[in-house]
Amino acid sequence: MKKEFVGGLYMFDQIFGNYLVATKRITKEQLKDVIAIENTIRVKLGLIAVAEKLMTTEQADEVNNLQAIMDRRFGDIAVEKGYLTEEQVIQLLKKQGNIYLIFVQTLIDKDLLTLSDIEAALAEYQQSMGFTATDMDDLVSGDIERTVNLFLPTANTMYSKLCGIAVRTLIRIIHSGAYVSKAFLVDEIYADNLAIQHLDGDFKVVSGFAGADDSLLSIAVPFAKEEFASVDMDALDAVGEFTNCINGLFASDLSKENIEIDMLPPLFYDESVTIKGNKFCVFPMSIEDNNVSFIVSVDEELTIE
Amino acid sequence: MANILIVDDSRTSRKMLRSILETNGHVVVDEAINGEEGVKKYQATKPDIVTMDITMPIVDGVEALKMIKAMHKDAKVIMVTAAGQKSKMIECIKEGANEFLTKPFDQHEIIEVIAKLME
Repeated sequence: MKKEFVGGLYMFDQIFGNYLVATKRITKEQLKDVIAIENTIRVKLGLIAVAEKLMTTEQADEVNNLQAIMDRRFGDIAVEKGYLTEEQVIQLLKKQGNIYLIFVQTLIDKDLLTLSDIEAALAEYQQSMGFTATDMDDLVSGDIERTVNLFLPTANTMYSKLCGIAVRTLIRIIHSGAYVSKAFLVDEIYADNLAIQHLDGDFKVVSGFAGADDSLLSIAVPFAKEEFASVDMDALDAVGEFTNCINGLFASDLSKENIEIDMLPPLFYDESVTIKGNKFCVFPMSIEDNNVSFIVSVDEELTIE
Repeated sequence: MANILIVDDSRTSRKMLRSILETNGHVVVDEAINGEEGVKKYQATKPDIVTMDITMPIVDGVEALKMIKAMHKDAKVIMVTAAGQKSKMIECIKEGANEFLTKPFDQHEIIEVIAKLME
């Protein structure tokens, strides 16, 4: 039953929408309009539950707050707390509607593209990314874990667990319109600034965010709820705390499998650095036109010069 | 209303915590950026409650908790953790930690925990 739960997090509208922009089918402004309309139609599950008098506002707020620290779906937490039954969650999700269809319908209603234009673009996107029909089903479903796995260059579960948590936490806490591009493995990468954390214990993991120019402000500002003039040490401290939250959820997940890892204080670099390692993962993430990279290395040290 | 000492190496976390505490009528008597400074400032300010981050450089939160409890066994110390620090949390319970708060901060949880300790 639980596998039927679709969370409130969705990314394919941004991924495919930005492909439509890159291939000049629609403009960036038109995509923003479409997503804004989609978001007004796509009511949050908690709001529907309150409107249907299945939950009180206080209960919905409590579940929303718990979502931020538990990396769990709204429906799953509400069921666990005894506020909703699984059957009620399924009914609420039906009322919420299929997000992909809302996106497509909005493109058509705004006279931006026809259904056959969209189908042709989807087929072209599938081919350009080398995805199978099943991969496309995974993407369109909006399941973040399946989407992340498609974009990762490794089947190592440590990478998929950590990157999945990072993406979900990014969408929940930083920006609901954040999305990812295909990740890649490298031995060396350059960054203008970096906040990174080492995890020690049964596994050695290094993870954090790297950016160019002021792109890391797209994480620092919403997380700290504070304006920064540039990516200084204070802004990097905020990015480091956000990384700490992601790694904490990752450590929590691993502890269920009796894997113990401990987190060390995050490290910050506010000047240009070269990150060197052995085939570590770089996962590009876009937050409101800012590109940042989530860096992960499992069981291989990184050196930063 | 409680007098509270915040011990955390992260400026972001100190600022967020201070804002939540002050908005809810509590007084932040001082801040410290690591466990060593936290112990010194505890002795200087004698707060009602300490919020102590676990992961800090120089002297971490667990060591600072031990030091404070060794000197003042009735000290009220709330340990602040990221999720997933299970073994550290068990160690803190053994050393007499009074409560735990998880990052990212939830205002309701913070206020409830402080009210409970001030009863």
